[in-house]
Amino acid sequence: MIADIFKNYKIEERQNASIYTKVGFFILAIVMSLIISFILIRYAGADVKDAAKSLFTGAFGGKRELIESLIKATPLILTGLATVVAFKARIWNIGQEGQLFAGAMMGYWIYLIADTQFVWLNIILAIIGGFIGGALCGWIPALLKVYFKVDEVLSTVIINYIMAYFLSFMLSATGPWRQADSFYQQTPLIADNAHWPLLFEGYRLHFGFVVALIAAFIMYLIMSKTPLGYEIRAFGSNPSAAEAQGISSSKLFMIIMIISGGLSGLAGAGELFGAELRLSSRISPGYGFTGIIIAMVAGLNPIGVIVAAILFGGLLNGAVRLQVVTGVPSALISVIQAMVLVFVLISRLLTSYRIRRIKNVA
Amino acid sequence: MATPDLPTITQEDRQDIFLKVRDLTKKFPLVLANDHISFDVRKGEIHCFLGENGAGKSTLAECLYGFYSPDSGEILINGQRVRLNSPLDAINDGIGMVHQHFMLVDVLTVVENVMLSIHSGKIFLDYSEAESKLEGLCKAYGVDLDLHAKIWQLSVGEQQWVEILKALYVGVNLLILDEPTASLTPQESERLFSVLQKMKVQGLSIIFITHKLKEVMAVSDRVTVLCKGKKVATVDTSKVTLEELATMMVGREVLFRVKKTDTTRGEPILIVEQLRANNDMGRLAVDGINLTLHHGEILGLAGVAGNGLKELFEVLFGLRKATGGKIFLAGKDVTNLSPGAIKRKGIGNIPEDRFKMGVIPDFSVSENLILGQHRHTEYLRLGFLNEKQIRHDAEKSISEFDIMTPSIDHPIKFLSGGNVQKVILARELRLDPSVLLANQPTRGLDVGVIEFFHQRLLEKRSMGVGILLASEDLDELLELSDRIAVVFRGQITGLFDIQDAHRDEIGLLMAGIGGV
Amino acid sequence: MLHDLLTVTIIVSVLASTLKIATPLLLAALGELVTERAGVMNLGVEGTMLIGAYAGFIVVFRTESLALGYLAAVLAGGIMGLFMVFMASSLKVDQTVTGLSINLFATGFTLFLYRVAFGDISDLPIIVPSGKISIPVLSEIPILGDILFKQSWLTYFALLMVPIIAIFLYKTKYGLAIRAIGENPRAVDTVGLNVTKYQYLCVIFGGMMDGLGGAFITIGTLSNFLPGITAGRGWLAVILVIAGNWQPLWIFFATLVFAFLDATQLQLQGFGVPVPYQLLLSLPFIIALLVLMGSRARSLAPKFLSKPYIREVTK
Repeated sequence: MIADIFKNYKIEERQNASIYTKVGFFILAIVMSLIISFILIRYAGADVKDAAKSLFTGAFGGKRELIESLIKATPLILTGLATVVAFKARIWNIGQEGQLFAGAMMGYWIYLIADTQFVWLNIILAIIGGFIGGALCGWIPALLKVYFKVDEVLSTVIINYIMAYFLSFMLSATGPWRQADSFYQQTPLIADNAHWPLLFEGYRLHFGFVVALIAAFIMYLIMSKTPLGYEIRAFGSNPSAAEAQGISSSKLFMIIMIISGGLSGLAGAGELFGAELRLSSRISPGYGFTGIIIAMVAGLNPIGVIVAAILFGGLLNGAVRLQVVTGVPSALISVIQAMVLVFVLISRLLTSYRIRRIKNVA
Repeated sequence: MATPDLPTITQEDRQDIFLKVRDLTKKFPLVLANDHISFDVRKGEIHCFLGENGAGKSTLAECLYGFYSPDSGEILINGQRVRLNSPLDAINDGIGMVHQHFMLVDVLTVVENVMLSIHSGKIFLDYSEAESKLEGLCKAYGVDLDLHAKIWQLSVGEQQWVEILKALYVGVNLLILDEPTASLTPQESERLFSVLQKMKVQGLSIIFITHKLKEVMAVSDRVTVLCKGKKVATVDTSKVTLEELATMMVGREVLFRVKKTDTTRGEPILIVEQLRANNDMGRLAVDGINLTLHHGEILGLAGVAGNGLKELFEVLFGLRKATGGKIFLAGKDVTNLSPGAIKRKGIGNIPEDRFKMGVIPDFSVSENLILGQHRHTEYLRLGFLNEKQIRHDAEKSISEFDIMTPSIDHPIKFLSGGNVQKVILARELRLDPSVLLANQPTRGLDVGVIEFFHQRLLEKRSMGVGILLASEDLDELLELSDRIAVVFRGQITGLFDIQDAHRDEIGLLMAGIGGV
Repeated sequence: MLHDLLTVTIIVSVLASTLKIATPLLLAALGELVTERAGVMNLGVEGTMLIGAYAGFIVVFRTESLALGYLAAVLAGGIMGLFMVFMASSLKVDQTVTGLSINLFATGFTLFLYRVAFGDISDLPIIVPSGKISIPVLSEIPILGDILFKQSWLTYFALLMVPIIAIFLYKTKYGLAIRAIGENPRAVDTVGLNVTKYQYLCVIFGGMMDGLGGAFITIGTLSNFLPGITAGRGWLAVILVIAGNWQPLWIFFATLVFAFLDATQLQLQGFGVPVPYQLLLSLPFIIALLVLMGSRARSLAPKFLSKPYIREVTK
């Protein structure tokens, strides 16, 4: 049977995977995802060429489209980075979504309290508020893990749900932040002097993009060139040895979750003060989860995250045009994202391991 | 080095052969484990596989048990060619195996573990038949065992007996034992040998894998010597000497003793007072241990697994909390400090499980050499890691300790056990520690590396370092130690100066017989 | 108001609700129990339930056959389980990430299919869900009859599965093997049992139970499908396995307690208590968090849970 086929093969770890192997398998993953996408597009009743064209032009077809993609990429870079720093240590933080909300909410709250007119003061407060909000939200699961041994996957997922409800409450008719006499769950628009500056005249690309790029560079430095990065990677590879050789797991866990949560919080602040310009339940159409996929696809590499985020931002952008032109639901993108993740995972496995055929024993 | 001739096989002899192996070859990515090995095993024979660690003995056994698939070669049972694709095939052909690391499910009982091996039988578990049969087997071999105890509650010797029971229960013609005496006291080993003799009389074939020459001489009829994956010879044990076997095993003349200088013992450096600690199950493992380690001395700790040695070391290097008692280093209280703090105070640690506790497998050799020291000022520059200094020191360590690696950037998980252990030693010695904790440092290493380690340890000893050395190999302890302490059930039951230490007495104490 | 709450009708209603709410949780939790006992931690329960919910719904919508709907849900769940165990057992990809990818896939895929099928119509497509089955005689018993014996067939099935799975795990040789695999797969492998086969069967079974649980939400109780309708129940099921310390009976109790609290919270919402409904909705999750904090022992977690078993270890 099928099991017998497996008997003739065995998996062994490759010592030196050449760059060709890595790239080759990666491309294979992309191709597989594309094939599945085409099948789904056909199923939705659309023409594959039209769909591909509208998707691509919607993503990168012109200057406006490209910039829109970069706008979408901004929060994705940050949530991707948040995932990288945690996953590298094999800390399964799935709470980017909730941490993003927390950052947005903390940023908004500080904005309300500060009530200042100075643009750069507002920006600094927003950045600090966003980071702290997300960091606090990330710190809680760390505390739960260290003191109560609560699995971080479960605690972060639960907190996602709780934060979503919390935001909904704050924006509801009985909540404190709702724009008076509005039908929607949203706050009033942010005052002009709290907007994050635009990078180019006439386009919506905002300062958050710069923040994201700086954050990526800082994370790259930390991960590969500092003792903290060393500890993070050591802990991810072998927590027992790391602990036995003097790396404190509880301290590290908390530091990582604070940084990770903070980065997602920054994403929330950026979206609030740079893109959406008001706090609403629309603040994140799944940026947190997409960030996870981006980080995995980028191989947990901070610079790779930038590239992947721009690609996925493009996809998100293109999906809108896709739906308008061909009628294929933009939800296709969510499926594609998950498929890409799966195929990249498999391809990465194939790169690290080789399958060898066993000669039959006479 | 002449290869002794194989005894001529007569027609009668041929009928006595149960297992015949021809040209068996098994390759792994890094190493050719078995290189065209041929031998045979007779009925009613105890046949030893002798070789250093890494010689290929276990791999060969796993091929016979169907756990690994040979890349080429033939296996014949009773003259018939067989293909062993899985342990199930091996079991069906009458081959059973007792592994070095027991294949038992801790949380299940003895009976339940045996029931797992039974493939036929009703869907709904019926323990009565199994229980009576097991009781019978225990009686026949003179072993006393609580069949309803959970495995984790049993001693190592008792667990091994359960492994043997599993094989006996389904009925085997050939029983393979892989390093069975590794964790046994000398007395338990004797008992095992007498059980094996009983089996032999019944016509069972037994393959006994070991690297201990004395055991081979004591228990086997014939021995097949393996060296670096190749078979050197198969000889009648009665016709060969211990020295000849040693030479065959290693491929060159073997020194049996490493020269130790006279005592260099100085002032006390590490004092342990009434130390208490629990094991992972929450039970008392270290029960009031008192020790004094001096500068320039090697204090050997003899003890069987499960008596608290592992937990003692873990408390000493800070991984496990002491529930009572104190530890003093150079007069200062260091009880329950974190592993990082203990390192900083100058206690180096060579852990028992080198891959789990000693290194980061995905990291390169040079990265592993700074593990635990990665925040030291000499490896930092403006808050960043000082690559140049790290690499420079790595090159130095590699040549000083003769570490075989393609480069300092090679991931350490691809290195052999001996080289990994050298990396750990190099790293710990960089700290210039005043105390070195070494728990089974030479386990699983081949003779060349073992010699290297012994020399280094003695060198440090003469430089004034206090070394706490635990080893299952009593001979190693007797060779290296200035004093030997025996640990049994979490307590020190005997403490000897080396000239007063006798193997038999220590063995008895390890088993809990006699002593304080 | 407390006085109003404590009327018999209300209490009966809450208790009956408890069993209804418990059903999908129990099905998924029992499925996950078997999966985890075999050493695989399937975090894709939420996604699998969602797919089962959609599969059941769309099939009933098109064929008007509840039986086919349930069958589709079970099949869909089984396929997701097959994917999970293929990745975890055969390819040895990290189990946590695989589970997450299942969830992400399911969210996107069900949304996609739903939109393709129904576009953006304002009227929700509806089906007629399973009705309740009153067990003759027993349902006539006052109070108890209303609570226990007027439930959907799937509820009875879920309740029956508790002793069935308990007996299977502890009294059969297959159950023994499964429990052993979660603790020490190598020990089971050396005895000649096929670890991979057992893992495949267990995880696929878990997937089928998840699919069934999801279907209960759409075609068993509600009459429609909404994207994300599972609302975290899959995660709760995983938590219930932990809360029940990997034992069927304790998982059952934990599920009942949980479902009871959820039913109470719903009743309070219906009453219009001066508490924001978001807080009430968060309550199950907050309780789940507290449960996790209290289960710190995790003493009976299978030792080899989440670790891929590799036979040829060269060191």
